[in-house]
Amino acid sequence: MSSNPRDPMASETTSVSASVFTPTEETLRLIASLPAPEGLEDRVHAALNAMPRKSRVLAWPRALRAESGWMRGAAAAAIVFVVAGGGWGVYTRVESTQMEQNQPAKVIVMPARMPSTGGLQGAGAMRPPVTLPGPAAPQPAKIGPAKAKAAKKPVASRKSGGVRARPSAATN
Amino acid sequence: MSTSQVIVAGIAAEWMDNPTSAVNDEARQRAEDAALAALVDQYAGALYRVAFSVLRNQADAEDAVQEAFVRVLRHRDTLGEVRDHRVWLIRIVWNIVLDRKRRAKTRPETDDVADLARVLPMKGLSAEEQAAAAQHHAHVLACLDQLPAKERQVMMLSAFEELSSVEIAEVLEISESSVRSRLFRARNLMAGLLDHERSLR
Repeated sequence: MSSNPRDPMASETTSVSASVFTPTEETLRLIASLPAPEGLEDRVHAALNAMPRKSRVLAWPRALRAESGWMRGAAAAAIVFVVAGGGWGVYTRVESTQMEQNQPAKVIVMPARMPSTGGLQGAGAMRPPVTLPGPAAPQPAKIGPAKAKAAKKPVASRKSGGVRARPSAATN
Repeated sequence: MSTSQVIVAGIAAEWMDNPTSAVNDEARQRAEDAALAALVDQYAGALYRVAFSVLRNQADAEDAVQEAFVRVLRHRDTLGEVRDHRVWLIRIVWNIVLDRKRRAKTRPETDDVADLARVLPMKGLSAEEQAAAAQHHAHVLACLDQLPAKERQVMMLSAFEELSSVEIAEVLEISESSVRSRLFRARNLMAGLLDHERSLR
C-alpha cells in the first residue's frame, strides 16, 4: 500500500491509493515507475533555449510606457473627455428637440375628396379610392344606303364585270 | 513549498511590491527563465512518466514533455498565478498526449503493447519468468485499451503515486466523486475482461 508522500492526509481521504492492487494496477504502476531517460532535462533546456524569445517590434519610449504615471493620467482624461463630450452632445440634441415640440402643432390639410364619377358606388366605405373616368369608346359614323350597298358588294363580282366589258370593246 | 514555487512567488511578490518600475524587462525575463528552469529540473521526470504511460514510446513521450514546457514558456507571464505547478504541468502534458494519441489513431495500430511489456523492469526473474511476465503485462495492457476512455484515463492516472484523487480530479477537470466512481467502474470492467480472457484460454 502506498500513500501520497506530498499530502499526508491523502491516505485517509483517498481510496485511490489505499486499495489492494489489481493486476492492471500493478502493470500501470510498473509503467509509472519507469525512470526518465538520461539527459531529458538537458534536452528540454536546449529546446527552450532554442525557442525564439518574445520581442517587441515597436518599443515604446520610456516616457510613454505604461508604468509612467502621467501617461495613465492623460489616458484617463481622454476617456473622461470623450464620455462627457458624447453625453453633452446627446443632451443638447434632446433639448433642441424638446424646444421644437413646444411650438404649436402644424395643421395638415387633407386634400378635398373628389366626387366619384363612375357607376360604382363606395358601398359605404370610409375612404373610397379616387378613380378617374375611363376612356370613352369612339361612336361609329353613319353611312348612306348606296354607299352601304357598294360596301357590301363582294369583290369577286366586281372583278367579273370588268372582264365582261373587254370583249365588247374588241367588237367595236 | 517547492523550489520553483518559491522562485515564482518571489518574482510575483517583487512585481506586486513595485509594479511601476525598478524591475526592468531584462531582469524580469531572467527571473522567469530561472523559474522555468527550476520547473524543468523538478518535474520533467514526472511529466515524462505520465506521457510515457499514454504514448508508450520514449521518443514521443520526450517530445510531449518538450512541448509542454514550450507551452509554459509561451505563457510564462501567468506562472505567478498558478497555485500548484505540478498538477498544472501534468494537466498540460496530459492534454498534449491525449491529443497526440487521438491523432495517432488515424494511423495503423502498432504493436506498442508488446514493446512496452519488454521494457518493463523485471528484476530477479528467470528468463522464462520474464517472458511470462512480459506476456502478462501485454495482455493486461491490451485489456486496458478496451476500457472506455473515461475509465481508462482515471485508472492510468491513479497509478501515479504522486497524484491523489483530488489532483486527478483537477487534471481531468471533473469532481473527486467522479474520479472514485470511474475508478470503481474501471476496476470492475478490467476484472471482467481479464476473467473473460482467462476463460477463453
